Amino acid sequence: MQLNPSEISDLIKKKIENFDANLEAHTEGTVVSVTDGIVRVHGLSEAMQGEMLEFPGGSYGMALNLERDSVGVVMLGAYQHITEGDTVKCTGRILEVPVGEALLGRVVDALGNPIDGKGSIDTDLKSPIEKIAPGVIARQSVDQPVQIGLKAIDSMIPVGRGQRELIIGDRQTGKTAIAIDAIINQKGTGIKCIYVAIGQKRSSIANVVRKLEEHGAMDHTIIVVASASESAALQFIAPYTGCSMGEYFRDNGQDALIIYDDLTKQAWAYRQISLLLRRPPGREAYPGDVFYIHSRLLERAARINAEEVEKLTNGKVKGKTGSLTALPIIETQGGDVSAFVPTNVISITDGQIFLETGLFNSGIRPAVNAGLSVSRVGGAAQTKIIKKLGGGTRLDLAQYRELAAFAQFASDLDESTRKQIERGQRVTELMKQNQYAPMSVAEMSVSLYAANTGFLDNLEVKAVRDFESALLAFMKSEEPALMAKVNETGDFSDEIKNGIHSAIERFIKTSSW
Amino acid sequence: MTELATLARPYAEAAFKRAKQTETASAWSESLLFLSVVAQDRDLIAIISNPKISKDKKIEVVLDICQDQIQDEAKNLLKLLIENGKLQLLPKITALYEQYKAEDEGYVNVDLYSAYPLNKAEQSNYVAKLEKKLNKKVNATVLVDKSLIGGILAKAGDKVIDGSISGQLHQLAKRL
Repeated sequence: MQLNPSEISDLIKKKIENFDANLEAHTEGTVVSVTDGIVRVHGLSEAMQGEMLEFPGGSYGMALNLERDSVGVVMLGAYQHITEGDTVKCTGRILEVPVGEALLGRVVDALGNPIDGKGSIDTDLKSPIEKIAPGVIARQSVDQPVQIGLKAIDSMIPVGRGQRELIIGDRQTGKTAIAIDAIINQKGTGIKCIYVAIGQKRSSIANVVRKLEEHGAMDHTIIVVASASESAALQFIAPYTGCSMGEYFRDNGQDALIIYDDLTKQAWAYRQISLLLRRPPGREAYPGDVFYIHSRLLERAARINAEEVEKLTNGKVKGKTGSLTALPIIETQGGDVSAFVPTNVISITDGQIFLETGLFNSGIRPAVNAGLSVSRVGGAAQTKIIKKLGGGTRLDLAQYRELAAFAQFASDLDESTRKQIERGQRVTELMKQNQYAPMSVAEMSVSLYAANTGFLDNLEVKAVRDFESALLAFMKSEEPALMAKVNETGDFSDEIKNGIHSAIERFIKTSSW
Repeated sequence: MTELATLARPYAEAAFKRAKQTETASAWSESLLFLSVVAQDRDLIAIISNPKISKDKKIEVVLDICQDQIQDEAKNLLKLLIENGKLQLLPKITALYEQYKAEDEGYVNVDLYSAYPLNKAEQSNYVAKLEKKLNKKVNATVLVDKSLIGGILAKAGDKVIDGSISGQLHQLAKRL
């Protein structure tokens, strides 16, 4: 919004005219000590837990420890100018951030301020960052899919709208890559995405933004950034900020997908704050409530029924359910999933996508370990055709894993074992997929169908991916109507089955891969 | 960091309970006020914090200063404080004692900050208004603070009612 100077002075004049100076009553305290972003304030007898406190110089803090004579406050942002004896005022408000459609396409910090240089955010809506998750009555079971666009995930570990699916793995195993692919694949589906970057390098965040822009995925995405250089308090609240922005869509009968990248760093930030506030340390020096910070956050990802949406929108939106799907990311150290925070988050979520360094290094990307990865509720939400065709894939891979150790003695094995090993090798090869190349339901179905019906069995393992890409190109040019139908209905009728079958047979005759 | 108030609270509570028992609340109040002034004296602090001087000697010195200004029981409190090395708590104890006394007698101590000296009528007018707002008797102390520009600002403990021009300008600045 561009304004010329005279308009600005008019605006100010109007504001001064309408300004009614009322008696301001508030509670005050004085700063006793400032240490590492933690301020102790004497007084403030009426401060609330989590309340915003106003410091001189326009900076704000959040009250975290309420004690008999003092309040422990964590500063949000700069605290260098705060000195002993400064006056602190209660604001009577819990921390709030802007929400709404206007945030789509923007990059904001943990307090909702834009940091992408595209001007102010045009929204009047605000929402507190800490809210209670929807109740039991308000919820509806998960029965619609979120297509991640990766064969390995959509076929074996499906994610439904309103589900919480953990992405877990060591550093450099492609956790963020899956999340970015998921965002890119939501283009045109109406699912709004929120990517919360916690404790990451600014350069990696810039990279993510650039990639999303390149693939036209920024229009339906909000990016919330609390980078490594920002205070621990901001890194701690960033996920809640993102969640409130996502809840706006959920409560208005839309679907949203939120990615927390990653919650390990949030737990670290919270550990830092807690130790500085002198809360007693527990296992791995985390405070006692480190489970609760994650459980209350992930509980807010849910699917709510149409009545609840109608109630929340005051009847403006009728007959629509809303959902917030969460993909939290946890980074493990040396593959240790039994550390404190990973076990916590595994137990909170509805399943996990387990990524392994070994698989990644042997070229299987996405490096999903199909044996350890599960989805507890996604099965009910899976598209029919993928469910039908993906079931076989999971079985093939499971049998292959058992027999893989014998693969070296292929010549000594009986016919059926050898066949299973060969099928497994080809399916493993087929599950590989390039980054930034999410697939539609129809494309996935064709690939899976080819594997299930044995079209791949006569191919060299190395040729599988070339075969697949050539087949998909063929389907795209020769059978666009069939592909569109599969994408639209997701059914696996005889007509579709025969259509795919005959198309693949025709393609094989061309032998053009 | 242990708060001074946390350390001072048991002493203040004990002093107040004793004062109530013996119905000498105002005498105690005067004694404590006197003692807190004494305890803030720089030369005395130097003596008290000197480890080479024995505790008995310190008690003697302080009692010598006080002489008949304070009552006997307050002297006992003084001895106890020196014995425990907590003499620097006295100002805090006095403040807390006053708070207990005010609470018990049903009034609040209010600091009225004004940009210019108030006359009797203005003061009683403000006090009446504050009493209505706080639902308690008000014991007001008027202080002049030029930086308020105009209007008044009332402080009761950590509650602040800001009706000053500077406060309003502040609000306006934030709104803009």
